Amino acid sequence: MVWEIGLPLPFAASVPDHPTEAELAEACRRGNVRAFERLYQLHSARMKSLAFHLLGSRADAEDTVQEAFLKVCRAAHGFEGHSSLSTWIYRILINCCYDAIRKRQRLAESPAPPDFRAETNVPLKVALQRALSALNERQRMVFLLFEVEGLRHSEIAAVLEVPEGTSRSWLFEAKSQLKRLLTEAAK
Amino acid sequence: MKFECGDLDRAMANSDLLPEAREHFKTCAACRREYRLWNEISATARELHEEWDTPALWPAIRETLQAERKPEVFWWKQWKTWAIAAALAIAVAVPLGLWRHSQATRTTAPTTPDFLTEQALREVETSEAAYRQSIEKLSKLAAPKLATASSPAVVNEKERLSLLDSAIAETRANVASNRFNIRLQTALADLYRQKQETLHEILNHDAKN
Repeated sequence: MVWEIGLPLPFAASVPDHPTEAELAEACRRGNVRAFERLYQLHSARMKSLAFHLLGSRADAEDTVQEAFLKVCRAAHGFEGHSSLSTWIYRILINCCYDAIRKRQRLAESPAPPDFRAETNVPLKVALQRALSALNERQRMVFLLFEVEGLRHSEIAAVLEVPEGTSRSWLFEAKSQLKRLLTEAAK
Repeated sequence: MKFECGDLDRAMANSDLLPEAREHFKTCAACRREYRLWNEISATARELHEEWDTPALWPAIRETLQAERKPEVFWWKQWKTWAIAAALAIAVAVPLGLWRHSQATRTTAPTTPDFLTEQALREVETSEAAYRQSIEKLSKLAAPKLATASSPAVVNEKERLSLLDSAIAETRANVASNRFNIRLQTALADLYRQKQETLHEILNHDAKN
């Protein structure tokens, strides 16, 4: 049984107050602040990382995670459990990130994507980070969720509300595109 | 099937083709390099996960939540708290009130119509003293007649005096613990009056006969 997105079962079992996602979800639905704190402890690190890659700065990532968490806490009483709690909070986070990106675009603050082709001999990590910005939204999202944050295709499919096969297909597209960009940059 | 460079993408999407692709890599450096890069992308991607401490983030979220919740907590949602507070208030107020009431009746003059003022009490006690003096005099005068009572009427009055004496003693005991109680004082005065009248009747009875 998958207890939480990407979290090993022993870690979940070390939470005696909320040993199952159902119990945690129920406690959150009742507005239990300790349950929200537990949820934060379980997911905030991955949420911050994902937001950082989507928004490009730690400060913006923190603001967005805070906003996403507040939305989760405010809406938890209406959480009906159609998806898992973790899927639900990642979906809220991604929507918050898109809102932040749209707001930034309206204010014309968005910097131009870096031209990674201009530099050669940069470490692969740096080149990859820059190449990511050249991917389209869905490719970048699936790549970040699968390769960077370690979610499974079934989990990504639930978060993005697409079939699992679509998630696999988008990941292949993303990696093909990255490989092409990185190969060209190396030439 | 003969694996060619153009089949590389299909091999990356479909792991079933990988054994043939690996054979091809032995002779094709370009495909080998591309495949290595494909795997390196996944390996390097893991390093892109960012972690940093944000000790103020959860407290900020919690404070915002608490600030938002405060106005939503209506008094009727806290009925248990109110019920406990009311029970505590009653538990403290009732004994305190009773104690204060008992203290007040012992030491100070109440002002309600059921109780006497200090001045009225003094007047009542003066009257009582006068009654008792008068009764003592009458009792002395009536004592010989009562001691030799023979007629049924005098014996009857003697029994009545005995009942009045015990009633007076009981009422006086009550008055002693509640001096300002107007009902008790009135009852005591009435008993004295009855005893006085009874003694008069005993003395007059002999004169009539």
